[in-house]
Amino acid sequence: MTDDWQRRAEQPFRLVFEAAPYAILMIDRARTITLINRQGEQLFGYGRDEIVGQPVELLIPERLRAHHPAHVAAYFAEPRERPMDGGRELFGQRKDGSEVAIEIGLSSMELPDGRFTLASIVDITERKRIKDELHRSNAELEQFAYIASHDLQEPLRMVASFTELLGQRYRGKLDERAEKYIFYAVDGAKRMQQLVADLLTYSRVGSQGGPLLPVSADAVVGRVLSTLAGPIRDTQAGFGIGPLPTVLADEPQLGQLFQNLISNALKFRGEAPPRVRIDAQHKDDRWVFSVADNGLGMEMQYADRIFQMFQRLHERGKFEGSGIGLAVVKRIVERHRGRIWLESTPGVGTTFYFTLLPSRARTAA
Amino acid sequence: MTSPIRVLLVEDNPGDAELMRDTLESSKLLLEITVAVDGVDALDHVLQRGAHAAALRPELIILDLNLPRMHGHQFLAELRKHEPLRAIPVVILTSSDAEKDIVDSYRLGANCYVTKPMDLVAFQSIVRAVEGFWLTIVKLP
Repeated sequence: MTDDWQRRAEQPFRLVFEAAPYAILMIDRARTITLINRQGEQLFGYGRDEIVGQPVELLIPERLRAHHPAHVAAYFAEPRERPMDGGRELFGQRKDGSEVAIEIGLSSMELPDGRFTLASIVDITERKRIKDELHRSNAELEQFAYIASHDLQEPLRMVASFTELLGQRYRGKLDERAEKYIFYAVDGAKRMQQLVADLLTYSRVGSQGGPLLPVSADAVVGRVLSTLAGPIRDTQAGFGIGPLPTVLADEPQLGQLFQNLISNALKFRGEAPPRVRIDAQHKDDRWVFSVADNGLGMEMQYADRIFQMFQRLHERGKFEGSGIGLAVVKRIVERHRGRIWLESTPGVGTTFYFTLLPSRARTAA
Repeated sequence: MTSPIRVLLVEDNPGDAELMRDTLESSKLLLEITVAVDGVDALDHVLQRGAHAAALRPELIILDLNLPRMHGHQFLAELRKHEPLRAIPVVILTSSDAEKDIVDSYRLGANCYVTKPMDLVAFQSIVRAVEGFWLTIVKLP
């Protein structure tokens, strides 16, 4: 042991090695453990003397052991720095046989007596628990929003319908003030109906979404344009649509995404008829889509606000809608593990950018 | 042709039943509207049993799906089992727009499926359209 230290490590390295906040162990080409730090002893429950000199497979659950030698050999053959990326969940086995969820970063070292692999190991049990808990509570919240808004619709429809029926049946028989009261009651109920319906749409993105499958963005945009034929004709909008790729998406949601962005381009138009360009560029293993218009544009200081639910930049009545469209768009993009942002100049136009995965991307659960 | 057309509304929400009755009664047709508050009540009606032994068979049924005691689909399945009742046209009028509800309804022998609009005027025009189509245009058995 002590000889090992003197041979392999200088004092500073030893200090760092022992003081590291995570477990570190070193193995040789034959997969024998040659070094382990204090954190490593604690993590796996072995004393240094028990584990050094043993095959590393001792620390791997039996069900996963068979493939490990091949992984080690592959790494020694092509030893590239492999940082912990937060994406890989691996398992270790303690002395008492229990399993521990871990994450591993690998680096390679050439020493006088050969090549060694240094593994940094973090216990992610707590992180995994918090992640699972967060996932569960998000799902619950979504379900809550869905049920709440769905069940709110019925009584609300009764309030709105009967107030309106009262207005219909007694038109002309009530004084002006009574008619005004009815108007405000109906108007309020209808606005709330719209909000509840929007909330339902928003919560459905998460709770009712389908699987991500290869989808032709070209075909989806084509369908959206035929759905919007009316407003497109009314606004005399023109479209330029570059070749669009096949991406990994939930098809109805991708349609909703394009429909909301295109509707926005038509709605917030300037003096001239709307001109909309839709393109996609391949960048860093993603597709970056852009939807550009020549509309009103906005100050970039509002860029974050417009993606929030029920946020509107214009006074009520100027433009229809409750301000749910872009919140839904953002939610859809995020559900597709993408990102959305925009560039805008007042009076010139707005370009929305969002990323989607190419159809051949691996879909980790 | 002066005997009224018998319509059975199967609807657990008294508000909706009232809205439908209100709309239907403003039509020119002579209608006899009966409301059943759930699937079991509706079944008693069409099978002329229990409290409804003296009831006359409806000529059109307007059926909600989410009903207490017996779901609309179950009622529909029961209805289609009885020979003299198989021919009664059934219009589904529900707030559900779930694909599964739609498909299941037609499989079980619904004649058409309509969702309740949120807006009163739209609701009224839908009820009038159902009435116009099924009670004026269509020849019923």
